Amino acid sequence: MEEALQKLKAEATADLAAITRASDLEPFRIKYLGRKSPFAQLMRQLGDAPSEDRPRLGQLANELKKDLQLLFDEKKASLVQEGAGESSGIDLTLPGRMQPQGKLHPVTQIMEEICAIFEGLGFTVAEGPDIETDFYNFEALNIPAHHPARDMHDTFYVDDSILLRTHTSPMQARVMETKQPPLRVISPGKVYRCDSDITHTPMFHQVEGFLVDTNVSFADLKGVLSVFIAKMFAETTPIRFRPSFFPFTEPSAEVDIGCVMCKGKGCRVCKQSGWLEILGAGMIDPEVFKKVDYDPELYSGFAFGLGVERIAMLKYGINDIRLYYENDLRFLRQF
Amino acid sequence: MKFTVDWLKQYTDFSYTPQELADRLTMAGLEVDAVTGIFPELQDVKVAEILETRPHPDADRLQVCDVQVGQEKKCIVCGAPNARPGIFVPVALPGVVLAGGFKIKKSKIRGQASDGMLCSAKELGLAQDADGIMELAGVITSGQSILEALELKDTLIEVDLTPNRPDCASVIGTAREVAAMSGTQLRLPVALDSLPKLEGTPSFTVTVADESLCPRYVARRLTGVTVAPSPWWLQKRLISVGQRPINNVVDATNFVMLEFGQPLHAFDFKKLAGSALVVRTAREGEKITTLDGQARELDPTMLMICDAEKPVAVAGVMGGDNSVIETTSTEILLESACFNAVSIRKTSRKLNLSTDASYRFERGVDPQLAPLAMERLVQILTDIAGATVDEGGFDLAGGVPLPQEYSLRVSQTNRLLGTNLTAVEISGYLTAIEMSVRQVDEDTLGVTPPSFRIDIEREADLIEEVTRLYGYNEIGVSLPVVPMSFANRDAGRTLKKEVAALLTANSCYEAINYSFVSPGHGDLLGLAAGDERRQTVKILNPLTEDQSVMRRSLLPGLLENVRWNINHQNGDVRLFEVGKVFVPKAEGKQPDEETKLGVVLSGRRYGQAPALYFEQDPLDFFDVKGLVLSLLKELRLDQVELVPDDRHNPYVDPCQALLLRADGKRLGQLGRFSNQCLKNFTIKQDVYFIDINFDALTALEPAPKKFTSLPRFPSVERDIAIVVPEPVATGAMIAAIWEQGEKLVEHIELFDVFRGKNIAEGFKSVAISVTYRSHDKTLQEKAVAKVHQRIVDKVLSRFDGRLREV
Repeated sequence: MEEALQKLKAEATADLAAITRASDLEPFRIKYLGRKSPFAQLMRQLGDAPSEDRPRLGQLANELKKDLQLLFDEKKASLVQEGAGESSGIDLTLPGRMQPQGKLHPVTQIMEEICAIFEGLGFTVAEGPDIETDFYNFEALNIPAHHPARDMHDTFYVDDSILLRTHTSPMQARVMETKQPPLRVISPGKVYRCDSDITHTPMFHQVEGFLVDTNVSFADLKGVLSVFIAKMFAETTPIRFRPSFFPFTEPSAEVDIGCVMCKGKGCRVCKQSGWLEILGAGMIDPEVFKKVDYDPELYSGFAFGLGVERIAMLKYGINDIRLYYENDLRFLRQF
Repeated sequence: MKFTVDWLKQYTDFSYTPQELADRLTMAGLEVDAVTGIFPELQDVKVAEILETRPHPDADRLQVCDVQVGQEKKCIVCGAPNARPGIFVPVALPGVVLAGGFKIKKSKIRGQASDGMLCSAKELGLAQDADGIMELAGVITSGQSILEALELKDTLIEVDLTPNRPDCASVIGTAREVAAMSGTQLRLPVALDSLPKLEGTPSFTVTVADESLCPRYVARRLTGVTVAPSPWWLQKRLISVGQRPINNVVDATNFVMLEFGQPLHAFDFKKLAGSALVVRTAREGEKITTLDGQARELDPTMLMICDAEKPVAVAGVMGGDNSVIETTSTEILLESACFNAVSIRKTSRKLNLSTDASYRFERGVDPQLAPLAMERLVQILTDIAGATVDEGGFDLAGGVPLPQEYSLRVSQTNRLLGTNLTAVEISGYLTAIEMSVRQVDEDTLGVTPPSFRIDIEREADLIEEVTRLYGYNEIGVSLPVVPMSFANRDAGRTLKKEVAALLTANSCYEAINYSFVSPGHGDLLGLAAGDERRQTVKILNPLTEDQSVMRRSLLPGLLENVRWNINHQNGDVRLFEVGKVFVPKAEGKQPDEETKLGVVLSGRRYGQAPALYFEQDPLDFFDVKGLVLSLLKELRLDQVELVPDDRHNPYVDPCQALLLRADGKRLGQLGRFSNQCLKNFTIKQDVYFIDINFDALTALEPAPKKFTSLPRFPSVERDIAIVVPEPVATGAMIAAIWEQGEKLVEHIELFDVFRGKNIAEGFKSVAISVTYRSHDKTLQEKAVAKVHQRIVDKVLSRFDGRLREV
């Protein structure tokens, strides 16, 4: 009898410990603490025990039952408290109490990502005026008046010699005029061109960068831009450099990356070529150095420029550039 | 620059597919923009032979034609008078879609079934206008594709030419590049050694006034010319690159220009007074009507081609209508010249007239090209217009520069590229593109570029060519070795990041608006006529009136964003922008650029939060005030105070506005937009704003972070509920408590303002909790009570209040 009681207690304790859901509590209670439980049966058999043992066994049985009830109550309380079961009364599918948050504009996000990469390489950020002089925007960059290269820049004019900058490259001359090499500078900002369609807005953002020191080579340019592309896109992004023309760099290059949409197979975005043009670059033209009284025999350097909207379009799959300036919350929330 | 693959093959052999060709050109620096079939919409148009025609039973002008299209017979109703048995014509059968999306269907025309359409050249997009259906000649069979019948199966390649490669603005120039890359020969249509010597002629005179403006002028006269439509081979070339055939003389000049890159012009010789051509600048007051029918005022900077009396062409830009070739012309004078690039560009800009000719001259034309192109043009016109060329002619070449040799240092090349090229290798690359190279000394090469490479004029230009030919992708990759230095951070940029982080944490989204706006914003804001803020920087050549002045404020743009979002079913708007505004200065000076912070709040306070937990009340003034205060607190700008604004802004609700002030200076404003302003922007809900001068904010010194010991003794809190007259400002009550300077007061919190039950009209009950604490002992009830009583008494007397009975 005593053994049977002890065994029952051990079984019940083990069963109780295994319970993790509140729904299993009631079957347990019926099984071990109900009127038809083995306990109740044992208690009923108590009458059959020798009379000298009866008080002791009765007390033992009562204690065991009390202990078990206590354990059961604790278990029940802990399960309800943890909200671990469906019968605990908490609907876990209710919405979370989210505090609303805003977001940065996707252009700012990309621009900061770009700046952060170059800042990591030791570049300083320098911002310049949006409304520039003809001198800094063109002349200092080896684009004299009546040069056909001016056709590459559909310029908004304020008067004969003042204009909305068409690129952030004027910062090259502005910085070099006041500082001596070695220089590592990036210049993010708004630029303006009179052009408007689904791939052009009359205002957009550029990040210009340049590095000047003694003995800077085209190989260095390739190295820095390769690091940038690997960090901005993926370490395995294919890159190619091809000849191009900018009046303020020579040699000049366009830099393409393997199309991020079709992985180089050819699609509408890359015009079937498998490549996407993402930045322009080159070795700073000796004429640009002469304008700021740097000796081109002593110094060399490279410059590069990239369009922020375009990179954001490629990274986020945005297909209409006009969306950037509508400031529609349905757009802004996505990034 | 456009050309077709078939045309290119006329001058050099290659086996690249069109796409390969395009890729190679792109990698050689001639970036291909598009590779397309020409006339793709004609793919399914077929050749039909008309077998029989009979009048339409119910229409006088229509005929019913039985036609053979390959194996099939079709019956087609046609309105063209030239439809007759035996001719071959283009047919568009049902299902074909012609240019402009015109879809051919089976139809009934006046009760007669028609199986398609017999087409005119115009309907096929092959001519501007046409009489009747197009009659096809040559070796053709019915059922054949029209593209084959017309030899129009070809691929169009469009190159986005950079300004440094004017030599490639021609099919031959491009063929030269292709020949260089594929190692094949370039075939010129005229033999260089067969050019005639042109040493004058008795039939006309040519005078060049200034050789620097006109380095070369070649002129020849043709007689017995019959002006007529061009033969198909010539028309085909022109239409395949999108040009419109006009007549044989004009078409031939255009063709040779596209072929060689040399602009050419033809004058009606009989219209030239004095049988003379004079190349000179315009005289004051001279005028010309150009071929486009525009009468143009000339000035003495513009180079003209004149006869003995008057200008007959704007040199290098466009001919005059006083010397135009007409169908009756029989004697023509041909011009093949080279003009000064800058002069042509200036003239073209001044006249606002850009042509294929001016495009080429502006970028530069090889001065050695003129006699070659002239010879080619003469050959073609002799061939197709029955012309006879006069013996002799003029070739005035006094302004042609002598070939120039430039030094190229091997060491400089390697230094700039990061390569180890030898003089022999460099020399090899340059010789391949027709440069003549000699070794000057161990490190120096003397390089003479060919005349067509007018872009090469420095060592740097030669290094670029070496880079291109060596291959950009062959150059190694290294990282520059630069001394370490600390990159200083710009204070404005750093602050912008902090502010943006705080605002986004407060559920504001960042907006970016155009810097140029509508000049009407001053009116929409309701600014007075003389208000200084109406002065804007104006753009001379805006794209639209709505983007014609530089903004003076961020608020109108943000208000337009609010309206846009409301109109797109999103009335809960919280936006901010940090951007520049532009304040004009004296003419010729760059405007002042000020950075501003603008915020707009509208709609529900927790519109974006789960409605289950958050009240969906509209936000109010205290939301915007709270936003400003938390911003200032986080930025540790204790010196900024919010005070009533004594200046009236027409776009601000005067009852709900505060001024941000620091050290006595205006820093910005916050408040609610006035009803009138909201109405002007057609917004029908309240909008609150913050407008801060961000540069001034950047200039403020934040309070240093300084540690204060944590209190060791408990605090005691006492509440006061005081009924005061309605006009008493709660802020003044709290300030009054602080002003007493009680040392034990640690914190004062306003926790209720009550009106209504048991409070008389015109009064309010203000409940304030004061926290007392001592830093060196636990406060005794008695000590607190004494101080608290002093505070209560002071507030009661100062604000004419009484304790609220509970």
